[in-house]
Amino acid sequence: MKTLQTEHLTKRFLGLVAVNDVSFSLDAGEILGIIGPNGAGKTTFIHLVSGILMPSSGKILYKGRDVTYVPAHERARMGIARTFQLIHPLENLTVLENVMIGAVFSRGQSLKEARKSAEGICDSLQLGGLGRDTASLSILEIKKMEIARALANGPEILFLDEVMAGLNTDETRQMISMVKAIAKERGLAVGVVEHVMGVIRELTERVIVLEAGELIAEGPYSEVSKNPRVIEAYLGGAA
Amino acid sequence: MKRNTQFAAAGAVLMAALPAFLGAYPLNVARSVMTYMALAVSWDMLLRSGQISFGIAGLFGLGSYASALLVLRAGMDPVLSLVFATFFTGAVAWILGFAVLRLRAMYFSITTLALAEIFRIILHNLHDFSGGPEGVVLPGVIFGGDAHALYWLCLGGLIITLGVSWYFERSKMHLALTAIRNDETSARSSGVDIFRFLLIAFTVTSTLQGMMGAIQVQSYGFTTPETAFDANFTLLPLAMALLGGIHSTLGPMAGAVLLGIASEWLKLKIPYGHLVVYGIIIVLVILLMPRGLVGLARKRLTGRRA
Amino acid sequence: MANKRNLTAGTVIAAVVLGILVWRPTVLIYGLQAAGLYASIAIPMGLILGIVHIVNLAHGEFMMVASYLTYMICRSTGMDPYLALVPVAAITAAFGFGIYKLTIRRALKAPELNQLILTFGLAILLTQAANLLFTSQTRKLSFDYVSASVDIGELSFGVYNFVFVALALFMVLGLRLFLARTKVGKAALAVGQNPRGAAIVGIDVDRAYALTFALASALVGMMGAVFITRSSIFPAVGSPFTMKSFCLIAMAGVGNIPGILASSVLLGVSENVLKAFRGTRDWADIVFFVLIITVILGRSIRGKKT
Repeated sequence: MKTLQTEHLTKRFLGLVAVNDVSFSLDAGEILGIIGPNGAGKTTFIHLVSGILMPSSGKILYKGRDVTYVPAHERARMGIARTFQLIHPLENLTVLENVMIGAVFSRGQSLKEARKSAEGICDSLQLGGLGRDTASLSILEIKKMEIARALANGPEILFLDEVMAGLNTDETRQMISMVKAIAKERGLAVGVVEHVMGVIRELTERVIVLEAGELIAEGPYSEVSKNPRVIEAYLGGAA
Repeated sequence: MKRNTQFAAAGAVLMAALPAFLGAYPLNVARSVMTYMALAVSWDMLLRSGQISFGIAGLFGLGSYASALLVLRAGMDPVLSLVFATFFTGAVAWILGFAVLRLRAMYFSITTLALAEIFRIILHNLHDFSGGPEGVVLPGVIFGGDAHALYWLCLGGLIITLGVSWYFERSKMHLALTAIRNDETSARSSGVDIFRFLLIAFTVTSTLQGMMGAIQVQSYGFTTPETAFDANFTLLPLAMALLGGIHSTLGPMAGAVLLGIASEWLKLKIPYGHLVVYGIIIVLVILLMPRGLVGLARKRLTGRRA
Repeated sequence: MANKRNLTAGTVIAAVVLGILVWRPTVLIYGLQAAGLYASIAIPMGLILGIVHIVNLAHGEFMMVASYLTYMICRSTGMDPYLALVPVAAITAAFGFGIYKLTIRRALKAPELNQLILTFGLAILLTQAANLLFTSQTRKLSFDYVSASVDIGELSFGVYNFVFVALALFMVLGLRLFLARTKVGKAALAVGQNPRGAAIVGIDVDRAYALTFALASALVGMMGAVFITRSSIFPAVGSPFTMKSFCLIAMAGVGNIPGILASSVLLGVSENVLKAFRGTRDWADIVFFVLIITVILGRSIRGKKT
């Protein structure tokens, strides 16, 4: 029984097919790369898996259970977490409070316990100054906070949606080693959507490639990157 | 935090002692201010979730009529009727919220806008039961109309409201409502059941508004559809909360004191249409100082520190 | 799929219409006339909602202002409102344009919360200003042509109110031409569908919004002038129309202007069915609320499935 499995997952928006018949699986301990040209449906795919969007057809199985139509907040409680590409830090809340939310509502902890959990997570991400207003955070800190927020849910599976975007080389390296460490420590199944291929190469063991909503290739990065169809998807679609 | 509680306790004692120093008219004004204060604070509580209710007058009036009719038609004891009317309003709000809150924002807000009118029409039409357009007169005013007792009753309602608001700010509700207000998608991804929390917030705040309505009708001994569902009960609390500073307990309190006292003066100076001032206040505050006076003060204080 | 649903809906509607026609034709006639009135007031609000994406809670008040303006002009010059229609519409258009530039434009950058409260504040401001200037006493202009009626067999009914049906149809056709054929209209439509995309293509979004506001205000101004030919006006006359307009837009779906015609017929006829019986006459004004709750419930149930 895999941690996460999708079967023929499809999402249609009026005329447009954003995700087309995608079947894949992800297991605990794996770090999977999800790549594809812009508009390939990667973020939509994550929305479907995390419950923000409901599919037009197909199935999503989490630890053997059919969660296709389970609402997002319940999936978070069950252990499916994800980060967001466009991060809107919650204003009017401190960094710590931003992170705490998952601990309070997904894990049902008391405010006191949640504070402790959140502090621990931020510590492992080397994120400090937790009493600050979110307006003063640097990009790296915002990304760390977003990962911390997702981790606070106590997930078993975590999707990172372009967390490395906007980071410089040093920061990216830092993040990569942190993500690896966290995934290992917690035995997470991780799905990483990324545009920076260097990250994919270092972080992931297996990669799936989406193009126009379809899954066109699967395998280790070294193989997939040589796949002619994948190359065409990136170059051909670049116009 | 300890200091705030001491402050609050001192304030409560001071408020409770006022009747010893004030005559009947000032006590009346104080009761009016306290009523509006409770309504302003309860309105703000729901606002913290991002939902705007324009239905304060509707729920307030519902509580009034529920309490009055329980006494008149069911022979209930006035004090008991306060309790029952409060929970009746909550129940109605729960049902309404259940129906409407899945669609939120403008759908929710405009539905609440219609509430006062709808309830007014219903009670206007049910002549035999509700007394129709002439309204109802109670056999007597609660506590025999004793000015001090009425004051303390109103103060009690206010303290309950403030207590609930204070609790909202310190409990999980604060995290939930703020998260929902800021970014629903992120909130959902962090396990927040948005519908459930909105329903709780709407039910609780409506219950408080109904409670104040029940207290009002028992304090005056009569009501009509026009007076129970008077649009002022929506307009003034809104203006007060906005002026004082939304998303806090302190802001609406400050706004209520300022505008509550000012309104007495305004009523004398501009008998017709003095409410235009409140419309102007709402527009100006939204455009120029959305955080209200408390927000401005906070900015000044933190600005100076930085 | 949609066509099948439309077909069944169409047959049911035709059956009901025929039934009413046979039973009491005046209900249908007056229902259609009321539908015309409601639709022609709702359509400009729908235009603003569809393009600028804000709910103008002061919409009914814009009409009220136009009506009072017409009243003043016609009272002092003895002009007929239909002559005054053009200047009134122009002034109202300028008024709407000004309100947009001064207030609404600022609030557009802020989250939806501020816009609702802002337009609510504007509504209060306008209503109370009217109260201040004209008091709450109703005003009326009398014209002979308003009592025009027609006799068909045993049936006798007023026909003047069909002017509203004509106005509604004119608006739907006119707007369709405007939005599809003119450069300004097409730009406005593009802005409504995708403001960011439109900006990228080089459309001046702010100007499109301002012109939309002006156009909608002109239409509402026109309505205000025609309205006073047959109704008495008072400061609060606009507010039921705001709520009913929103109800119609919600039923038709935002952006569906022709759909407003259908939903207005439903509202107008339902109200008149109730008005036909003495027992239910007073309940006619609740219909819109029932309809809006039904729409919201229907949408939220469907929303849950998807």
